[in-house]
Amino acid sequence: MSEIPEFLRTEVYHPLFVHFPIALLLLGTLFKIIGYWSKGQFLSLPGTIILSLGVIGGWIAIYTGDLADGIVSRTLCDPTILKDHENSSYTTMWLFSGALIFDLLFQLKLISFKRKLFDILIIVTLILGSGYLIYTGHLGATLVYEQAAGVNIPSSDCANFN
Amino acid sequence: MKLKLVAAFAVLALVFTSCGEKTDVVESGTYQGTIKEVEPEKTEIYVETADGKTLELYCTDTTTLTRDGNTVEFSELEEGQNVEVQVEKTGKRLDPISVIILE
Repeated sequence: MSEIPEFLRTEVYHPLFVHFPIALLLLGTLFKIIGYWSKGQFLSLPGTIILSLGVIGGWIAIYTGDLADGIVSRTLCDPTILKDHENSSYTTMWLFSGALIFDLLFQLKLISFKRKLFDILIIVTLILGSGYLIYTGHLGATLVYEQAAGVNIPSSDCANFN
Repeated sequence: MKLKLVAAFAVLALVFTSCGEKTDVVESGTYQGTIKEVEPEKTEIYVETADGKTLELYCTDTTTLTRDGNTVEFSELEEGQNVEVQVEKTGKRLDPISVIILE
């Protein structure tokens, strides 16, 4: 009879952590969009702070995902989905990181030229990043719900839970 | 100027979206190629075959690694080495049965 595996195992760190940056990055994007169209700055700075936390969290999620990769890849029936998930996650994070860098440069007043144009470019990049983020999340969910990535599957008689 | 900035942004976005390594799925069999990348912490190698396909292989306890007929450790595998790999396709996963270092 197989035992129930320890809950806090390496491949579980990723799903435990990844949902925080997903929420932060989407919320930060929303704040920036509303802040731009409302012409007020009251949401812009909180948006930058939320985005900063999201970007830091996102890169940590990539690190935990890389740890999980080495373990779950050996059990997946279609690891190409995992590769797409990985590639898409890097694209997502580069887009958000790029947008954040420019946003921070303006917030800290290190650059000031073409502000209006850059605001639009930042928002377009954040929207593009959000699209990739949703696609990355979809692929991650596919790995879990279709291929049971990192999931312990109990025996049909649930014997190890007795 | 505005157009140039937008164009630069579009190119940058395209670069981001096209980055990332693509891997291929092949039928079970034996393939020769060059090691493109080694990830020791995952005991993983990427092998580029002569016809340009990239095989992502996770070595397991049952994978045999040899050089000149002798068993070698995973740490012997290096980028740029010519290798012959025998793989078994399970679903779309490639399980390496053996890796022979040719040089």
